[in-house]
Amino acid sequence: MARTKIVLAGEGGQGVQSIAKILVEAGYEAGKQVLYIPNFGVEQRGGVSIAFCQISDEKIGEPRFAKGDIVIMLSDRALDRCEAYVDKESTIVYDTSVCTHEPNCECKRVIGIDANRIANEQLSSRVFNIIILGALLEATKVLELSDIKNAMEMALGKKFDAKPELRELNYKALEMGMGLVKESAVHNG
Amino acid sequence: MVNKLIKEDTKMFLTGNEVLAYAANSAEAEFMYGYPITPQNEIMHTWCKLLPKTEAGFLQTEDEISAGFSTIGGILAGKRAFTATAGPGNVIMQDAQSMAEMMRIPFVCAVMQRGGPSTATVIYAQQETRLTCYGGNGEGFRVVYSTAGHQDLYDYMIKAFNTAWKYRFPTYVLADGYQGKMREPVVLYDPASRGINMVPATKALLSEGEIGVDRKSAHLRNTYNMEEELMEVLEGYKADYEKMSEEIEEWEEYKAEDAEILVIAHGIVARSARTAIDELREKGIKAGLFRPITIRPLAVKPLRAAVSRAKHLLFTESANGQLAQMVLEKLYGLNTPYSTLFKMGVGVTGDDVVNKVEEIIKEGI
Repeated sequence: MARTKIVLAGEGGQGVQSIAKILVEAGYEAGKQVLYIPNFGVEQRGGVSIAFCQISDEKIGEPRFAKGDIVIMLSDRALDRCEAYVDKESTIVYDTSVCTHEPNCECKRVIGIDANRIANEQLSSRVFNIIILGALLEATKVLELSDIKNAMEMALGKKFDAKPELRELNYKALEMGMGLVKESAVHNG
Repeated sequence: MVNKLIKEDTKMFLTGNEVLAYAANSAEAEFMYGYPITPQNEIMHTWCKLLPKTEAGFLQTEDEISAGFSTIGGILAGKRAFTATAGPGNVIMQDAQSMAEMMRIPFVCAVMQRGGPSTATVIYAQQETRLTCYGGNGEGFRVVYSTAGHQDLYDYMIKAFNTAWKYRFPTYVLADGYQGKMREPVVLYDPASRGINMVPATKALLSEGEIGVDRKSAHLRNTYNMEEELMEVLEGYKADYEKMSEEIEEWEEYKAEDAEILVIAHGIVARSARTAIDELREKGIKAGLFRPITIRPLAVKPLRAAVSRAKHLLFTESANGQLAQMVLEKLYGLNTPYSTLFKMGVGVTGDDVVNKVEEIIKEGI
């Protein structure tokens, strides 16, 4: 692996920046070169929130890249804004239960997952973003599940210790996200 | 005296704003004055979070006008003080920055550029390049280091204090919202371990001893009666500035020795250009980079030499040619043709530069 370029985009408040932080922290702790730029407007909530992440074995040059290897889009507005970061080598992951239309651009692969519905119905709306993190982990395969768990422990360890069931909930969400991408691969295959 | 937190080489994974706060502590800065504005807030937040350990000081003022003048006050009292700002904050701090220029005050400021004009975006730009170099009502007797990532932020923030206190011109670390907000690994160190000794901070006013016996009176002026009196002072500043320039000019060349197409860029855009140059070289295109690190003063001799060797120049910036304007003035008499890739308030990627260079070649250089 030379360099994996990831675009994570959603509505402000969906937890896009939180999972980007966990992702790059996991990469850093795993000994990779990482670079993360958050991108958002002046709003406290709402507006499109984008995280540009890079994970690499070699030193990273450009901080902003033109096209993502993985582009994750979690709302209609994110779909509209982020098609610019997609080319024919990109894999798109989008949320079918939030977005009202499909991504409309040429790419390598489109993975639609209904993370929002699953979070609400089966787990908790609060772990929606963790399902996405699991999906991202499976779609990129540049980090191990244990790397992500370590980074979650660093970010949320105190909360987990106070409420151990939160740890289980988050782990379950991660694994569900990974499962959704695996299932999609089976369907596509 | 403050407590320095970094005693040995320490690898950390930080945002650039956090790096700047640590760097100021490593440079033995004693006081920060500031007013919140995105994307520089976390410099203040981090500085404050570290206060119980560093025992340094912080004052949040009512606006950037006050933050600038308070910084001057702290420095006059003999404290190694600094501030940080961005965008519209940088605009309204110019009054104090001009005063620092006039009174030769070792004013240190980190500028994290955001989109402009006016409020624009809180994200990123290189649109405060001209403002930081030449803002205020004066002649731009300032030193501006343009950084290209977290190691630079640490290195040049420490250097900025020494340049300011040694030469007594306002000194800036000019970065941007990307560098402020992004996270990447960085090695923090004790400056002494790199042979860097901090120039001592001395009181400008109320120093020890009797005036006329032990020391001269301190007479710091920003007001003059006569036209000629002002010019005489400024001619002295100009001579000091030119003498200093030779000592502090910094630049970076990357594969520029045999470059036919020379990219001229500063700050984080220069880093994207490096990525592009590697890709272009793999395709057999002789591209290289000239990156001024001090964008005020510019390293004119090496710049002209690199430009003379090249067949074509490409200026690229996240602004409408603010650096290009300053550079072109210094290239008077040379006739190397140039192209531009200007994205106002938007990041320049490696691909952008590769595509532009290929376009230039297609059209025939």
